[in-house]
Amino acid sequence: MLFNSLSFVVFLVIVLALYYSKLLNWTSKKRMLLLASYVFYGLWNPPLVILLWISTGVDWITGKNLAVEENERKRKLWLLLSMFVNLGFLGFFKYRDFLLDNFTTVVNTYGYGYKSLPMDIILPMGISFYTFQTMSYTIDMYLKRTERAKTFLDFALYVTFFPQLVAGPIVRAGDLISQFYEEKKATLNQFIWGIFLVTIGLFQKIVLADTLLSGTADTVFGSDKLLNGVDAWIGTLAFSGQIFFDFAGYSTCAIGIALMLGIILPDNFKYPYASLGFSDLWKRWHITLSSWLRDYLYIPLGGNRHGIIRMYAALMITMLLGGLWHGAAWTFMVWGGLHGTYLILERLQRKYIPFKITAWNGMFLAFITFSCINITWVFFRAREFKTAWNMIKSMFYMQTDGVKILRNFDIIKVSVVIAILFISHWIMRNTSMKEVSLKTSPLLLGIIWGFMFLLIAIAQGSGEQFIYFQF
Amino acid sequence: MYLKKSFIIAFAISIIGLGAWETYWRSQGYHPTLNDEKSLWAMHRAKVETASKNEVVILGSSRAYFDIQLNEWENETGKTPIQLALPGSSPLPTFHDIVNNTNFNGTILIGVTPGLFFSTTFPQASPWSRAQSKVDYFKNRTYAQRINYQLSIPLQENLAFISADEEEWSDDIDLKSLLRKVQIGKRTDEPIKPPFNNFGIVTLDRNMSMTDRTINDTAFANGIIKVWHFFGKGAPPPDKVATIAFFMEDLKKFKARNGNVILVRFPSSGGVRMGENHGLPRTDFWDDLVKQAQVKSYHFEDYDQFKNLKCPEESHLSSKDAQYFTTELLKIMKADNALSNSKTN
Repeated sequence: MLFNSLSFVVFLVIVLALYYSKLLNWTSKKRMLLLASYVFYGLWNPPLVILLWISTGVDWITGKNLAVEENERKRKLWLLLSMFVNLGFLGFFKYRDFLLDNFTTVVNTYGYGYKSLPMDIILPMGISFYTFQTMSYTIDMYLKRTERAKTFLDFALYVTFFPQLVAGPIVRAGDLISQFYEEKKATLNQFIWGIFLVTIGLFQKIVLADTLLSGTADTVFGSDKLLNGVDAWIGTLAFSGQIFFDFAGYSTCAIGIALMLGIILPDNFKYPYASLGFSDLWKRWHITLSSWLRDYLYIPLGGNRHGIIRMYAALMITMLLGGLWHGAAWTFMVWGGLHGTYLILERLQRKYIPFKITAWNGMFLAFITFSCINITWVFFRAREFKTAWNMIKSMFYMQTDGVKILRNFDIIKVSVVIAILFISHWIMRNTSMKEVSLKTSPLLLGIIWGFMFLLIAIAQGSGEQFIYFQF
Repeated sequence: MYLKKSFIIAFAISIIGLGAWETYWRSQGYHPTLNDEKSLWAMHRAKVETASKNEVVILGSSRAYFDIQLNEWENETGKTPIQLALPGSSPLPTFHDIVNNTNFNGTILIGVTPGLFFSTTFPQASPWSRAQSKVDYFKNRTYAQRINYQLSIPLQENLAFISADEEEWSDDIDLKSLLRKVQIGKRTDEPIKPPFNNFGIVTLDRNMSMTDRTINDTAFANGIIKVWHFFGKGAPPPDKVATIAFFMEDLKKFKARNGNVILVRFPSSGGVRMGENHGLPRTDFWDDLVKQAQVKSYHFEDYDQFKNLKCPEESHLSSKDAQYFTTELLKIMKADNALSNSKTN
C-alpha cells in the first residue's frame, strides 16, 4: 500500500479510529497495529508476508536465546543463524540474478559457453529495510547493547510497524520496542503536527517529485541519444531533486503517521543538499541507513582504530556495500565507490590542506558538494554504464554536438525548483521544521499548509511508487 | 494550541480552494467523467478468466472502441460484450494474452485498423507497448491497486477537476498537464504535435462514445484530424509479414480450442481514409489477412449501410452513427451466422 493512495487514506482512518477507540486495551491495540501492518504489506503481495513472519520468528528466537546463553560459541552460532536467514533472503531475492549474471560472464570468458536461467524472482517490497532492522536487533542482543523484547507481540510490531516497514526509517530496537511497552497516545499538538508532516511528505512526493521533476529526469535518462550538456545537467539535477523529495517525502510521511499514533521515529533527512563535504552529507542523508552501516559494518571492519590505510579500506568497503544495498547492479557499486572516494579525499584534504569553514566559503563548499553528489546520481539513475558515461561526457562538455531534447520551460522549471531546494536547505541546515514553525505565525503556517494540500489535490498523481521501494 | 489554529485555516483554504477550482472548470465546460485507464481495462480483462463460450470479447484499437456501442449490442444479442479495445494500440498483444493465458473459447471480434494492426511486432514500438503495458498491469496489479481504483470511481464520477487521463490529453487539467501546455520558444528539433484533446467519454462498462463537441464543433474536430495527419506522417512503414505471422500463430491455437474470431474493418473517412488507402491498400493488407485467416470478416466498404457513414474527425463514428453501425453490423453477422458460439444463434 502506498501513502499516496486512496486505499491508504481509508486504511489510516480505520487504524486511527480503532487505535483511539475505548473498545481496545493497549495489548489489543498493539495486536490491531500488527494485523494492520500485515494487511498494509499483504495488499501488495500476500504470500510475501511469510518472509516477514520467518524473519520475525527467527530473530525472536535468536534474541531469546542470546539473552540467556552464556557460551560464546553458541551465542555466535545463534547470531550466524540470524545472519544466514536475513542475508539469505536478501541474497536470494535481491542478488541472485546479479550474482548469476556475473558468474556466467566470468565463466564464459574462459570459453565454457555456460547459459544461466534468470529466475526473474519478484523483489519483496522493503526487504532491505526490514532485514536490516531485524539484524540490528540480533546484533545488538549479541553485543549486549540492547534488552530483549519483553513480548513476541512487541518484537513482531517492531519488525512490521507499517509506517516505516517498507522504506524506513530503519529504527533500532532500543528506540522503538520500548515505546510499545506502555500505552501511547498522541497529544492534540502531536496529532496535528503528524498531519502536517504527512501533508509535507505528500507534497514532496506528489507535487515536487512526481509532477515537477520526474518527467524531465525520465526523458533525459531514457534517451538513447548523446545529449547536449545543458540537457544532461538539467536531467541529473531533476533526478537529484526527485530522489530527495521522493525519499524524504516517504520518511516525513512515516514520521508523521507514527506521530499521529504517539510513536516517535527518528529523523532520516536533515537538509542534505546543504552539506559541507561528504562526512556531513552522510549525517544528513538517509541518516538511519548511514548510521546502521557505520555501526554494523564500518566499525566492525576496524573503523579508524587500526591506522589510516585500514580506515580507508573500511570506508571504501562500507560505501561499496552501501551502494550494493541500493540495487543489484554495478552502477550502484560505482555510486558507492564514488562516495567512498569522496570521503577518502575529504579526509586527506582535512589532513594536508586544512581550512576553516566560514560563512563566506560555506555556501561555496555546499555548492561544490552538491555538484559532486549530482555526478554520483548519474550512476545511480542510469540503468547501463553506456548511458551513464554518455551523460558524464555531456555534462563535462566532451561532446559539442549533443542533441537538445528538453523544452525551454522544462529547463526553467527544474532550475527554479532545484535552486529553491538548494537555498532552502542552506537556510535550514542548522535548524528544523519544528523550530521554524514555532516562529511562524499560525495564519501564515495555515495558508502555506492549505496551499500545499490544494496543490496535492490538483496534481492528483497517479499513485507512483516510491523510488526506494525497489531497494 | 497554535497548530490547531493553523489546521483550521488550512482546512478552510483547502475546502474553499477546491470548491473554487471545481467551479471554475465546470464554468469552462468540464464535467465529471471517468478516466480511460489501465485499472478500468484490467477490471474488464478479469472477466475473460471466467467468460463462457457464449461470450464475446472485443479487441482492437480506438475504432473498435468508439464504433461498437454496448447497449445496442446487448439489445441485439441479449449479452454485453467484454470491451477490451485499446486506443492507439495493436490488438496482437491482447489477443496473444487471451489465447495463451486463458481458456476462453468464445468469440473474439478484432477491429482491424490497418495502420495499427499491421504496424509492428517490436515490443518497444508504441502500438505494441501501449497494449502490452495493459496486459502486464493486469497480471501484476496488486490488491491495493484494485481497491484504489474502486475508491477513485466515485471521485471521478463527481468531480470535474479529477482529470489525469493516462493518454495525457492536451485538455486534461491536472497540474502536470497544465504545466505541459506552457511553451516558451522552441528549443528542440522535434516536430511539435498539434494539441490532442480528449474526444470521447467512457463509462464504467467501457462503452466509449464521441463527445458532442467533436460532433458539433468543426474546429475542434479539425484539431483531432490534424493529430491523425501528424501521426500518419511520422509513422514507420508497416510490417505486414511479421504481424500476420504473429497473428496466425495465435489464431491457429485459438481455433484449435474451438474459439471463434471475427475480423472487422471499421469506417474511416476523408484524409485519413485516403492515407490508409494509399499507405495500406485494402488488396495488399486486409484482403491478404482475410485470405490467410479464414474467419468471418467484414469490411465497411462492402455494405451499402456503411458506405456513406462519415466520421466527424475522419477516424471514428459519432455516437449516433456508432449505435446504427453496431445494430446493422450485428444484423449482418447474425445473418451470416458469424456469432456461432452465441446463444442468440
